[in-house]
Amino acid sequence: MNIKELYQEIILEHGKNPRNLRKTDNFNKDAKGNNPLCGDNVHIYLKLDEKKKVEDISFEGSGCAISMASASIMTDLIKGKEEPEVKEIVNDFLGMIKENPELKSKNLKEDEKTKLMCLSGVKQYPMRVKCATLSWHTLISAIDNTQEEINTEQLG
Amino acid sequence: MSISNIKKEFPIFNNKIHNNDLVYLDSANSSQKPQSVIDRVNEFYTNEFSNTGRSVHYLAVAATNLYENTRSSIQKYINAKDKNEIVFTKGATEAINLVANTFGQKYLEQGDEILITELEHHSNYVPWHFLRQSKGIKIEFAEINDDGEITLESIEKKITSKTKLIAITHLSNVTGAVLPVKEITELAHSKGIAVLVDGCQGAPHLKLDMQDIDCDFYAISCHKMYGPTGLGVLYAKKKWLEQLPPYQGGGGMINDVKKDSITYGDLPNKYEAGTMATAQVIAFDQSIKFLEKIGIENIVKHEQELIEYGQEILRKNNSVKLIGSPKNKGAVLSFTIKGVHPHDIATILDEDGVAIRAGHHCCQILHDKLGIPASARASLGVYNTKEDLDQLNSSINNCKKIFNL
Repeated sequence: MNIKELYQEIILEHGKNPRNLRKTDNFNKDAKGNNPLCGDNVHIYLKLDEKKKVEDISFEGSGCAISMASASIMTDLIKGKEEPEVKEIVNDFLGMIKENPELKSKNLKEDEKTKLMCLSGVKQYPMRVKCATLSWHTLISAIDNTQEEINTEQLG
Repeated sequence: MSISNIKKEFPIFNNKIHNNDLVYLDSANSSQKPQSVIDRVNEFYTNEFSNTGRSVHYLAVAATNLYENTRSSIQKYINAKDKNEIVFTKGATEAINLVANTFGQKYLEQGDEILITELEHHSNYVPWHFLRQSKGIKIEFAEINDDGEITLESIEKKITSKTKLIAITHLSNVTGAVLPVKEITELAHSKGIAVLVDGCQGAPHLKLDMQDIDCDFYAISCHKMYGPTGLGVLYAKKKWLEQLPPYQGGGGMINDVKKDSITYGDLPNKYEAGTMATAQVIAFDQSIKFLEKIGIENIVKHEQELIEYGQEILRKNNSVKLIGSPKNKGAVLSFTIKGVHPHDIATILDEDGVAIRAGHHCCQILHDKLGIPASARASLGVYNTKEDLDQLNSSINNCKKIFNL
């Protein structure tokens, strides 16, 4: 596999100029995650409206191009979706990174799937999978209000 | 043995990594192994295996002799006064934990201070933190200067009447700074303070003379010295090993065991409970022989040339920033590239067969001080060449190209 398949333009671009890298005003859910071996860290802020629709999502943190791009693309794509949809998309993404060849979610449009599949290059780099999945695990932790800091070393 | 074609002693370099020659620049993490060390492990298990020190049969006696030969070789190599000042452990980490447990248990009380530095690896901080929690001791940090060095003055500044132990690295695994351990020891001893030197990086790259440094404890990691994993050495002055309590209890470390009392064995058995890493100890003798055949003076000269060359080419490479510029620098080149995270650097370099490490290198305190979450590190071994450093530089350029820098 060519290294350029991992570092596609879209990843480099999102890594350099991450979307939603800020803190949501009046957020009502949040969670922290960290990858102790790499030092990547992320803090996700969510604002859900009364119908549990994502009114705003943002993140703060630092990390490699893969982890920043993953958080950037994720936050862009989750905005405006409802909580059950969000959970379903997260599971679909994690399933794709882990083993599935493609994304199956009906809650994702084709162009959204294409964008997410740009992160599939990490499958060939087992040490880098955690970089791509950190913000996604942290998002679930925020939604479920587990109050537990996500630690990639303790995830299965 | 000539250092110029030493690579051929290491079979790992016959392999291709992603279809490229291996450029191994991660020796501060762990060094590669010469064929003689690999063969020795195999030979011991194939033809000579027995446990040591217990049975009287032929193989047991032979294995015990081989095991003790390594102890003698190490004594000679580091110029320790007594063979029994060499204690085998499972690594340098265990060597430091041994001192923290025994010295801490016997001599430290609430309010006592241990002085370490901002350069320390977690293995020379966390064991003292345990004592901070269990005994209420304090840990003080000597501060680095702008060059990433620890000077005698920075140590002196933090010594108080409460300081009981100074625990310092010999050679920083991030900035490469070589600490003036002899001078620090002299200062410490003039104030009645004991000194532990973390020699993980010092031992593979510097000439060792325990009687000259005069430190009380020196921890060695064998797998960083072209030796097997699972093995470390604690050098400790005999007076300490005699005074301190045992570390772990078990077979081999006892003298007499009764229902109501136990007495412990003589040195060094007192600190080597249970079956030790026998094959590793026996093979490590070949690592010492390997180092002796090249000669530590030649190794120092070779690595100094490389480190100067490496600094020179990386300084010329714009957007690369070297971490630390100590006057006395050992075999480590840590750096950052503006706009590329160290983990991305490491993944991209790996594609060219260039193995480096990215992260905080178990030195989070230092990275916090430097204000960076991580760095990339190219570290040298006896087998590295100028061509390896040229390849490093060219792969860094490729990395910059991928990131449009």
